[in-house]
Amino acid sequence: MKILNKLGLFTNKREAQGYVFVFPWIIGFLMFFIYPLIQSIRLSFSKITRITGFKMEFAGFGNYAKAFVWDINFVPMFLEVVKKTFINTPIIIVFSLIISVMLNKNIRFRTFFRGLFFLPVLLGTGFVMQQLLGQGVDQQAMDLSRGILLPQQALMYLGPKVHLVIQNFLNLITILLWKSGVQILLFLAGLQGISGSLYEAARCDSATEWTMFWKITVPMISPVTLLNIIYTLIDSFTDTSNPIVTYIIDVGIKNLQLEYGAAMGWIYFMFIFLLILLLFFIAKIFIYKTSDR
Amino acid sequence: MELSRKITNVDYDQKIKLLKAKVGKKGYWTRSVYNLFVYVLLFDLGFVFLFPFLHMIVTSLKSPDDLIDTTVRWIPKMLFWRNYVTAADALNYFTYFKNSVLVTVLCIVGHILACSFIAYGFARFNFKGRDLLFMFVIITLLVPPQVIIMPLYIQYSKFRWMNTYLPLIMPTFFGFGLRGGLFIFIFRQFFLGLPKELENAALIDGCGFMRTYWRIILPISKSAILVSSVLSMIWHWNDSFEPVIYLSSPKKWLLPIVLPQMYETLKSMQIGDLMLEPIFFNEGVVMAGTFLVLFPLLVVYLILQHQFVEGIERTGLVE
Repeated sequence: MKILNKLGLFTNKREAQGYVFVFPWIIGFLMFFIYPLIQSIRLSFSKITRITGFKMEFAGFGNYAKAFVWDINFVPMFLEVVKKTFINTPIIIVFSLIISVMLNKNIRFRTFFRGLFFLPVLLGTGFVMQQLLGQGVDQQAMDLSRGILLPQQALMYLGPKVHLVIQNFLNLITILLWKSGVQILLFLAGLQGISGSLYEAARCDSATEWTMFWKITVPMISPVTLLNIIYTLIDSFTDTSNPIVTYIIDVGIKNLQLEYGAAMGWIYFMFIFLLILLLFFIAKIFIYKTSDR
Repeated sequence: MELSRKITNVDYDQKIKLLKAKVGKKGYWTRSVYNLFVYVLLFDLGFVFLFPFLHMIVTSLKSPDDLIDTTVRWIPKMLFWRNYVTAADALNYFTYFKNSVLVTVLCIVGHILACSFIAYGFARFNFKGRDLLFMFVIITLLVPPQVIIMPLYIQYSKFRWMNTYLPLIMPTFFGFGLRGGLFIFIFRQFFLGLPKELENAALIDGCGFMRTYWRIILPISKSAILVSSVLSMIWHWNDSFEPVIYLSSPKKWLLPIVLPQMYETLKSMQIGDLMLEPIFFNEGVVMAGTFLVLFPLLVVYLILQHQFVEGIERTGLVE
């Protein structure tokens, strides 16, 4: 009885202690997240009448209508960003998976390569990266390294059109490769988690490396793939070099159309939120759960 | 009896040897071709990843003559260290370096202390609304900072935090700041993987829950701390979006904001010293400046690189 009582008391105490730990986050949540979020919703539905005291009056959906109907920049820019993201994300995921599978093999200089592939993350996406891209560093890098795998003559042989397509693709890939450092490391960590006995069993049944990749590696790594897709999406959507983000800031802060900036921000956020929600629903069907084993 | 067993044993051994040789020979060729392919591909890709840094360093050491000369690609005729002197002058490097280090270090400390503290609550305590709150942690990650930056701007100006480092530093102490939610997630995953026995033993010995966190949990979560610090460092050091908005006086600026301004400074210097030094402003100086900004980050990363990469595998981030 005494023990039970103690246990009962204990869980209550535990609960209180749990709140102690989460308390700072709740304060931060209210101060740095919920309050500004509500303010920004309010702002997006209103019109600032006097900028000095932030006096505003209700304006309905005026700002949202403005974004879709009046503003000639917003919708095309938005679609452009969405299109780019949908092209880039699969490329990043596929390439980082290929690289990490190669690195996961028992090769020499493994630690060296792992450290190396993370290096461009240090460059960030800000001014430094813009600087380098401005000097055409991405193209030079690809041109030089392509020479080793695909000699110029072989490309010429395929004809100018194919040559151009390949070259454009490779140029695109360079920037994406530089952005995939975190994803490679996450995939590597996931690959380390797959137990070797699965591969051994498959080998005993004379499975080839190719089948093993598709039947063991891909399903086992699917939770990490989801994590990586979400990371990549968020990373590219919140990237400050993203044109729509720059546009929102320009309009909102530099032109002092705060309410319109907030409305655009909300349209943008709702889209990201719905996309990720959709992704979670799709993932529920396809993701392999360890508990289902 | 004895003899026959011996003979069969020998037979068996020989058979295995033969089999091994057969398989080994066949496997050897395919494997070595495959390995060669993998190595070539890896070195090729490695070069692509290393290229921006090589380009930066080589260009920053080129003299104006080498920059024009197209035959000089990788090895400058002489190491032109003056680029660095010019760039450091134009950047006012040491002042802004101090600012940047101050902000970055404080942000890292904030993130580590707050996020590990909060994550411990999420990982080890069962309280009402825990899962809902954790869902909100993830949602805070999804909201682009641009959506709430304008109300925050108004809020911080009411707090009189404008033109100070507080808007950058304070949120990190509450588990916010640049991707604070991600660090809470990392620490939670790590704590979930720790055995509970340690804490239970501490509890039996009369160790309070705060002390358990501070004295037992934090000291054994070195790998999670390292991973979070490195990521936090990279993102805070490179961030120019928030500082540009909150810091208006040039004295308070940080390195990533100063770098774009370097052009302007250099141009004005060029006009001023036109008679004495004809060529000041070129690609070499720009690359030297960029490298100077990146340099501290690079040094810290190269020192911690091995532990960082191992740490990501060990934190159980992906389980």
